[in-house]
Amino acid sequence: MTPRVRDARALAATLLAGVALAGITPAARAQSLAGRVTASDGTVWVIYPSRPDACGDGEDFIGHLLGNSTFYSGASSYSGNGRWMGRPCLTGPVRVAASVFDHEVTRVRAYVGPVPENHGDARVLTVSASDAVAWLSGLVTKASNRVASDAMLPLIAADAPDPWPLLLRTARADDRPRGVRSAAMMWLGAAVNEHLGIADARDDTPDDEMRSQAVFVMSQRPKSESVPVLIDAARSSPHPAARRAAIFWLGQTGDPRAVDVYAELLGLR
Amino acid sequence: MNRVRTLAAASFLAAAAPAMMASSALAGQSIEARVNAVRDGTVLISFPARPDVCGDGRGSVWTNGSHDGSWRSEWVCVHGPVRVSIGRSAGQTVSVRTHVGGEWTGASATETNLGDVSAPDAARYPVELARTLAGSNAGHALSAATFADGVDISPQLAGLARDDGASTEARKQALFWLGQSDAPSSELVGLDSALRSLPLRKQFTFVLSQRRDDLTTAKLIELATHDPDLQVRKQAMFWLGQSQDPKAIAFFREVLKP
Repeated sequence: MTPRVRDARALAATLLAGVALAGITPAARAQSLAGRVTASDGTVWVIYPSRPDACGDGEDFIGHLLGNSTFYSGASSYSGNGRWMGRPCLTGPVRVAASVFDHEVTRVRAYVGPVPENHGDARVLTVSASDAVAWLSGLVTKASNRVASDAMLPLIAADAPDPWPLLLRTARADDRPRGVRSAAMMWLGAAVNEHLGIADARDDTPDDEMRSQAVFVMSQRPKSESVPVLIDAARSSPHPAARRAAIFWLGQTGDPRAVDVYAELLGLR
Repeated sequence: MNRVRTLAAASFLAAAAPAMMASSALAGQSIEARVNAVRDGTVLISFPARPDVCGDGRGSVWTNGSHDGSWRSEWVCVHGPVRVSIGRSAGQTVSVRTHVGGEWTGASATETNLGDVSAPDAARYPVELARTLAGSNAGHALSAATFADGVDISPQLAGLARDDGASTEARKQALFWLGQSDAPSSELVGLDSALRSLPLRKQFTFVLSQRRDDLTTAKLIELATHDPDLQVRKQAMFWLGQSQDPKAIAFFREVLKP
């Protein structure tokens, strides 16, 4: 009997804890995760579920995030045939290595794929995708230029609703550093291309190449000339590779009209 | 004593005469022959520069008043002679460096200073020299030729640009300096069929783009549209993009038209 009582108490305590956790708002949970991450200095690994298609080698590159032909490594991205293409791209959770100094996240680096058995002296926090998204959204919204920009990749890689509304707000936020807004535009451009089904469009013919070159060359012209042409091509070019290039280079112009076009093409506002 | 003096004088004349005769003979020789007479070392020549050319004496050269727009006001631009140093090794010319303004520092044992030479002679020689030079040496040689005062070397530059036997670098440099010369754009455009390798054709698009006139813009549009080599088409399009010509913008719109 006694043991049963004990079990019942334990069960009740567990249920209460569950109820209590369920009652915590996402913001509060994120605050909690942010607090846990920055509780002490050093490296913290935050691990959470990734998008079903996302893959990587767990230690260097991430692929199949927005389309299949672009690979990401740190703050760099690579398209086309490269050494990445021949390497195994394995599914697995997202792992974010957050460097903490003086209770502040000073660096973020994301990985997808196999999880190493040993993280050395670093702390490891295994969390839900939604908690990770809330924490990373906070970094995108408030952190310094580099951390905010680097937080976008693991944010997008999370198995969670698309973060495009947040990135659209970030791209439009006059009070955020230009680098953060530019990074948001880069990811939004990739999101638009994936949404339109042209993320992997390539120049298959010489005419395709010339059209893509024309898009690039136009993008280097003064905005008064380039932006209207790029907007036209982004909205309605029947040539996938040229349209893809126009969407990318439109975002690189830094022109505020580009955000509206992205939102329109994503079906958002 | 007199005899001693006489012998000494005779001895001096005997020793000096060949050198004096050689010097006199060399002065009558072409620059090429005088340079080729030096097996190892550096040959220095100087000649008058065009009025619109100035330099800092150390290698930076400005033309057509370009120094006036320079962002570094401390840069001094002196109108002065074109000074060319020609490096020789085992009887071969291995380097050419061109300066405008300033003067040679004290001659060393390995230097042979040919002194001032006439601009026309000086201009012809580097064009020939450039034919076989590689790397930046061809550019230095041809720039020296184009800086020479009162000489139009555009026919020689056009000939070098067409010459399949010359080094690619020399032909590229000849194209460049021809583009910078007063040669009519029609002459430049007319080189198209003579330029077959990819590096030359890409250089051709750049040189055309620097002219910024109707004829060269039309040629660039033609190359961007019809050149058999896609790389040349893309390069022509790139340089068209640097143009202020409305026809170039219209061309891009046409390419991107749905």
